[in-house]
Amino acid sequence: MKSSQINVRDFSLFIALALIWAFFSWQVPDFVSPRNLTMLSIELSTTAVASLGMLLIILLAHIDLSVGSAIGLMGGVASVLIFRHQWSAPAAMLLSLVVGVALYATMGWVIARERIPAFIITLGGLLIFKGIFWKVIGNQTIPVKTGDKDNLLSILTTYYLPAWAGYSLVALIIVALTAARIYSRIKRCSYGFEVESGELMFSKLFVAGQAFLLSVIVLERFRGVPLSVTVLGSVAFVIWLITNHTRFGRYLYAIGGNEEAAIISGIPVRAVTIGAFAIAGVTATITGFMQTAYGGASTTTTGELMELDAIASCVIGGTALAGGHGTVLGVLAGAFLIDSLMNGMTLMAVSPEMKFVTRGVVLTLAVWMDVRLSRRSS
Amino acid sequence: MPSNAILETRVLTKRFPGVTALDGVSFYLRPGEVHGLCGENGAGKSTLIKTLSGIHPHGSYEGEILVEGNEARFTGIAEAQAAGIAVIYQELALVNNLTVAENIFLGNEPTRLGLIDWDKVYTDAAKLLKRFKLDIDPAARVGDLGTGLQQLVEIVKALAKKSRILILDEPTAALTEAEVDVLLEIIRGLRDEGVAAIYISHKLDEVFAISDRITVLRDGKSIVTLESAQTNAGEVIRHMVGRPIEDLFPKRQSKPGGTLLSVKNLTVADRHGDTILHDISFEVRAGEVLGIGGLMGSGRSETLMHIFGAWGERLNGDVQMSGKPSPIQNPRKAISEGLVMVTEDRKRYGLNLDKSIGFNLSLSSLEQIGYGFIDRNTEVARNQKIFGLLRVKAPSIETVVGTLSGGNQQKVVIGKALLTGPNIVFLDEPTRGIDVGAKLEVYEFVNQLTGEGKAVVLVSSELPELMGMSDRIVMLAEGHVGGVFMREEATQERLLAAAIKFHKAPVKV
Repeated sequence: MKSSQINVRDFSLFIALALIWAFFSWQVPDFVSPRNLTMLSIELSTTAVASLGMLLIILLAHIDLSVGSAIGLMGGVASVLIFRHQWSAPAAMLLSLVVGVALYATMGWVIARERIPAFIITLGGLLIFKGIFWKVIGNQTIPVKTGDKDNLLSILTTYYLPAWAGYSLVALIIVALTAARIYSRIKRCSYGFEVESGELMFSKLFVAGQAFLLSVIVLERFRGVPLSVTVLGSVAFVIWLITNHTRFGRYLYAIGGNEEAAIISGIPVRAVTIGAFAIAGVTATITGFMQTAYGGASTTTTGELMELDAIASCVIGGTALAGGHGTVLGVLAGAFLIDSLMNGMTLMAVSPEMKFVTRGVVLTLAVWMDVRLSRRSS
Repeated sequence: MPSNAILETRVLTKRFPGVTALDGVSFYLRPGEVHGLCGENGAGKSTLIKTLSGIHPHGSYEGEILVEGNEARFTGIAEAQAAGIAVIYQELALVNNLTVAENIFLGNEPTRLGLIDWDKVYTDAAKLLKRFKLDIDPAARVGDLGTGLQQLVEIVKALAKKSRILILDEPTAALTEAEVDVLLEIIRGLRDEGVAAIYISHKLDEVFAISDRITVLRDGKSIVTLESAQTNAGEVIRHMVGRPIEDLFPKRQSKPGGTLLSVKNLTVADRHGDTILHDISFEVRAGEVLGIGGLMGSGRSETLMHIFGAWGERLNGDVQMSGKPSPIQNPRKAISEGLVMVTEDRKRYGLNLDKSIGFNLSLSSLEQIGYGFIDRNTEVARNQKIFGLLRVKAPSIETVVGTLSGGNQQKVVIGKALLTGPNIVFLDEPTRGIDVGAKLEVYEFVNQLTGEGKAVVLVSSELPELMGMSDRIVMLAEGHVGGVFMREEATQERLLAAAIKFHKAPVKV
């Protein structure tokens, strides 16, 4: 019952992705050019990092509408410190990170302590952060670097790993993935749990390995693996570790699944909520850096509407808005779908008006599907 | 079977995953008859009602339901209501913020020119209330009435729909004796008008007072139907239990040790500031089962929930654990102090239904296995051990909890509590809605816990269970201690008398 439903979702996600890719490659052959795919990978890095933070919040059955504004604000704070006040980039980014975590932890604290719906608090955050953001940059365009001098902030989306590093990385990932799968299989057998057939595991690993390798080969044909992709990889790994292997992660699912039971079970609901928001503050800040760097400067529109892309990525990737269900892999796939769509439409020179409409339709469809599927399961 | 039966079931069978709730139930209801339905919790009474009232739609059960000789295939509650079947549940379905009259006609408002005819709502409600000799103001807010009066309003509401078949599920659980008399009088009046009723109650004296015939359910089967005039309580109980009561509760030797929990003069208010618990005191010793009984709304669950840190604001009183003042402010603190609670509503407070058994089992005790990161080897080993110990009937600890039967779900909740390594275990209605076999296993567990020197506090609404399991019994009545009894001196009559001690009306049992 349960597994077949997950399959419906996984399967439709896969079909949708294939259709989108087929359509764009047919309409604009440039869509699959190494250059465009590199751009797509950088865009994916920003959307996906923001979405991974959103995942933690949605797992708790909360929502974060403020992330778009927060992305702009954090990128803006770092840019202003670097460009206007000649701070070193690492120092500027560190301060920005501290501010980001503090703002998010505060929102989490208010939501957990006062039991005000996250929808309202983060809607307030959306407006407040946006106001502060525009104040900080003085409604101007603030470049991420002074003159031609590159810094840690500006290289986030302009630095590419050398070929040897790219290939070593992908080799390392494939080896690590295989080892981890085999280890977990042995463990599951020793617990007496069900395991998938060896053939299935091998073919999954094989396909995943091929996909990784192919991606790197394509990226190498342009300039190599973008630094931002390794940022995404690291964030995704950490969030995966948190959700799958820590007590904190287990509590996220437990609280989102049944908050009253979680309280009775002795779970520190308040601390976990604040913690999840604090981590989302980290991912929002990192996204802010990458998004600002990708634009080359901080402007009033940086990060705008990214909260919707992040929510859509989560929901498309199978995260239940009611809380308690969602995975890192799903969110990555959801973000990939959203970014493929946005990137392809840009290439086709679709008008901004129609892009808004498409974004809205995709978000609505995803939520509709979430509602349909969760209704059937209950 | 008589041809004039107004309602009849033929070999009705209803299965849930892992449990057969109804197993070939056949019985019939004559027009103008009050039919008592008796059985222990888990005997299938509520499943039968849900099937008759369309909650379990046609197709989800086997067998036939006949209304006036024709097969009824209800797809939902509305169809059952249209066929004249009204159910009055134990839990109230009234809107507290609306008036009595508004509630009575909720969803059924008389209209004039498309607008609600408020005059008619209030005059008709007043007429109805008068007809049943109820002194209730139709304009009173339902939330301002006592539970007993609310229950009567609920009944009037069902009657306003001109039902021909009335099903009453434990309608008197929250009523005073005087109110019970009013209710029974109403039912007799309706019977004389030709309305048939199915009357479900734990209180056999009521069943005998009102019913013409009595059907006993046990383990989902209809055991026997008796003419009330030709039988007695003893015979009905024998059919209900199916074996002598002594065998149901496994014997154990209790040798109580030192006091683990002592509660003195506890007075607690709910979040509206109303005092719910008054001056409650009791002690629990190591190796002892303390039973807490009382009617619905007497404050049993609230007492446990408060000590566990999950409910209410303490106005006065003192809780000590192992002789030291207890700093419990929340369940988390309680668990770390060695106190754990298995709550009454396991679906709401106990489980993540769409997660695995293992996920649920280890939830309260993750802090004991590794810092931050979960040591999965230890987790799985601990879960497997308790899974085997509790004899949960499931393929593995990866099975989703929601697919288990009530008894097995309850075992998972108990397992989660035990994994915290408690000294004191609170069990709130641990056997509600689970089958007899699982009940016995729960009882064995309780004995095992006390054998290990733990203290158990058992809340139950079933007097035989309280008397069979407890070393001492505290009966609560309207938030006060109505009486404390040693196991030897407890009888159903004495316990009941203590449970209704603070009711205003005089009581005859």
